[in-house]
Amino acid sequence: MTSRIGCQDLRVTVRGRELLHVDRLDVAPGAALAVLGPNGAGKSTLLRALARLGRYGVTGDVLLDGHPADPRELRRAVAAVLQRPILRRGTVRANAAAGLRLRGVGRAESARRSAPWLDALGVGHLGDRDARTLSGGEAQRVALARALAVSPRVLLLDEPFAGLDATTRTDLLADLRAVLDGLDTATVLVTHDRHEARALAAETALLVAGRIRQLGPTAHVLDHPADAACARLVGYSNVLPPAVTGRPGLLAARPETCRVSTDRYLVSGLAVRGTVRRIVPLGGGTRVDVDTPAGTLACLGPGGDGLEPGRAVVVTVAETDVRALETDDLAPATRGDPASVGRSG
Amino acid sequence: MDVLVDGFVQAVRLLLGGDPATWAITALTLRISLTATLIAALVGVPVGAAVALTAFRGRRVVLAAANTGMGMPPVVVGLFVTVLLWRSGPLGAFGLLYTPTAMIIAQAAIATPIVVALVATAVQQVDPDFMVQMQGLGAGRLRALAALLAEARLPLLAAAMAAFGAVVSEVGAAQMVGGNLAGQTRVLTTAAVLATSRGEFALAIAFGLILLVIAFAVNLVLTLAGQHRSVPAR
Repeated sequence: MTSRIGCQDLRVTVRGRELLHVDRLDVAPGAALAVLGPNGAGKSTLLRALARLGRYGVTGDVLLDGHPADPRELRRAVAAVLQRPILRRGTVRANAAAGLRLRGVGRAESARRSAPWLDALGVGHLGDRDARTLSGGEAQRVALARALAVSPRVLLLDEPFAGLDATTRTDLLADLRAVLDGLDTATVLVTHDRHEARALAAETALLVAGRIRQLGPTAHVLDHPADAACARLVGYSNVLPPAVTGRPGLLAARPETCRVSTDRYLVSGLAVRGTVRRIVPLGGGTRVDVDTPAGTLACLGPGGDGLEPGRAVVVTVAETDVRALETDDLAPATRGDPASVGRSG
Repeated sequence: MDVLVDGFVQAVRLLLGGDPATWAITALTLRISLTATLIAALVGVPVGAAVALTAFRGRRVVLAAANTGMGMPPVVVGLFVTVLLWRSGPLGAFGLLYTPTAMIIAQAAIATPIVVALVATAVQQVDPDFMVQMQGLGAGRLRALAALLAEARLPLLAAAMAAFGAVVSEVGAAQMVGGNLAGQTRVLTTAAVLATSRGEFALAIAFGLILLVIAFAVNLVLTLAGQHRSVPAR
């Protein structure tokens, strides 16, 4: 498989502390990789190390087309979009052209090449506006247009949707997906939101404490977490130890698939006894937290009728909704090495 | 009150009449103060940007020193520059004391801490990830730094204005290192002081008016330059 951007034995060390260590990563031209991780896992550090941005102490190789690349080569190949859209003073149009201008392209040529990207991201009509007057969503669209206008061979996205409201984010994700589908660009998206990974990337890596714990097709990774940390990251937040389930190994389930009942009604599946801790009505349903010997389990369901704090209940999960985890919390990436991401749709 | 009104009338007459000595003093004032401001900018912008952008031991001490320098009395600067340039001083061999060069040195010393402190503040107000974002779009370090300074150009111009305002209006250092020699080192402020002490109020007011016009003109030019390409917010 051809690799556009990747790394080998990449380590980032700050004041003697290793923040990140990635053995091997490859993203093919036209493919998108989502790096999913909790806050402080080293996601942005990985992204910046891949572009050799910032002042981190980085060792190991960043690979461009399979060969070790120096910062200058990376600078030409990469465009990055950060979490906050950092726009310059001036009009939207001037901002969209800023990336090309920084690369030494003439003013007229920059304007001509960047204009279609403003249109593609739905902000073409804002061309004459002062960039400081844009909403967060509009500004991030301009920042994306600015990055795409340089025709990057590698696009690095550092949680670009994090500060946006749900509707704006969904719209922007759809538009960006449509734009990226027609490009030869290798994209790396860093996020803590699994829905963004599902929307944009065919492959997903789970990054926990500076290490890639799991890597593979997004649908598989999000639904078959390798260990407890990965499970929590992808929404399998109810982790059940053998002592509670009576089965070998750790098990995990999503709150959406856990049901609270005053009586066991499942024929097959898991059942854990506990007492209701609290009931939280949410927009689409009710969250019931149940204290069990395994800790507090969260159950998301249509209603909490007849329940009250302190009541003895049974938390039940269907067999098909339970996932088995590796018990070793420090297990390495589950997929064979080298970890690589291909263009698969 | 008559003295004041008469003074103004005579001052305007003096200026409109094109008195060669007055214009020579004005030209020398502009040359010295603009050169000193330019030197302060050439030294102060890189130093201020470096202090703002790099992490090093003693960074806060440098910032505090620059901030202190902003309020340093020109007389103190004049004193040190005089001692340095004194015939038996470390730089006495150059024979610079009581020359315009000495005045430029003293005024640059006054203006540089102002530029350093204001530039550091201006650069720190730009998003901390600005340089990273510019580099993430393909800019090299120097180009990213240039973009950062362009982004902060309004406060940078304010720094230049503050520096120029400080040096064009100071009298202590100019008097001490320049000596107020007629036709050689006499500038508007020292000339105004001399005229006042002699009771030539019209002349003193004329110098004062010219100082005000210069300060306004320079600030107007810099303000127009700074606002030139920025888009008014809606």
